[in-house]
Amino acid sequence: MKQDEGAAWSIFGYLLSGLLFWGGVGWAADHWLHTHYFLLGGLLLGMGASIYLVWLRFGRE
Amino acid sequence: MPLVHLLRTGEGFVPPSTNDFNLPPVIAGNEYTTKPILLVFLSVLLISVFFIMASRKAAIVPSKLQFAGESIYGFVRNDLARDNIGHDFMRFVPYLFTLFTFILTNNIFGIVPLLQFPAMSHVSFPYVLAIFTFITFHYIGIRKQGIRKYMKDIMFMPGVPKAAYILLTPLELATFFIVRPLTLSLRLFANMFAGHLLLLVFILGGDHLLKGVIGLKLISPFAFAFGIGLTFFEFMVQCLQAYIFTLLTALYIAGALADEH
Repeated sequence: MKQDEGAAWSIFGYLLSGLLFWGGVGWAADHWLHTHYFLLGGLLLGMGASIYLVWLRFGRE
Repeated sequence: MPLVHLLRTGEGFVPPSTNDFNLPPVIAGNEYTTKPILLVFLSVLLISVFFIMASRKAAIVPSKLQFAGESIYGFVRNDLARDNIGHDFMRFVPYLFTLFTFILTNNIFGIVPLLQFPAMSHVSFPYVLAIFTFITFHYIGIRKQGIRKYMKDIMFMPGVPKAAYILLTPLELATFFIVRPLTLSLRLFANMFAGHLLLLVFILGGDHLLKGVIGLKLISPFAFAFGIGLTFFEFMVQCLQAYIFTLLTALYIAGALADEH
């Protein structure tokens, strides 16, 4: 049960860093290239990447 | 010491705000004598006295005090340290125990009459604690496995196509070095901050209603009743946050000691 609680918080951390990192990259690309679609793309990519990572960490057994 | 530093401007109700957390120094002009700082010192004193008293006359048949002290110690050692870290857990019990009792005492100060301020609602205190945990688990991991293997384990998960590392490695690094300490400290801070604010809303609101017309006076007991109910709820949150902080520290240490993440 404690391990589950720990897993829940690590999953939350992964999802957050996915959004922050790739969303941040997208935002920076938008900012410098004066576009407005990289942020959305980055957020989606980050979400996908972090779900993939969560699956790798916790869903493979 | 003003219990509630409320800005009163005009007749209307001034809702509690972040200003209520900036308490003036107790000794005028000395910035280091604010209420949170004094409470932190008080907590250190209380914890020390309590556990010295509890362990001084240790007996086979424990006194009530010894039993209380040993229950808390046993909880941290067995449920938090041993169950999560595994063998070699005793090295980390002192740190985890200090962390747990320190956070718990300071959180509970939030609902102790007259003290009634959780120091952890000032974000710098959780930051410092999270920095301690951050340094501890990375240092342990690097010393146990060497910096190359430790970083490799964090950055490259086995059994993944090489191209995926472009996506995943930044996330692993961000998680281990930024998100972990940040969420650890902000979770504690935000819970204590919001809890204190919530209590202020209901208690000050009830107080304000009491000064209103008769119709408002009749509503005021409900606000106070809610405030009291939320105080019990806050007690639960305060214990839970101390537990979560210590649990996650133990899990991070366990992760750093493990051969592969």
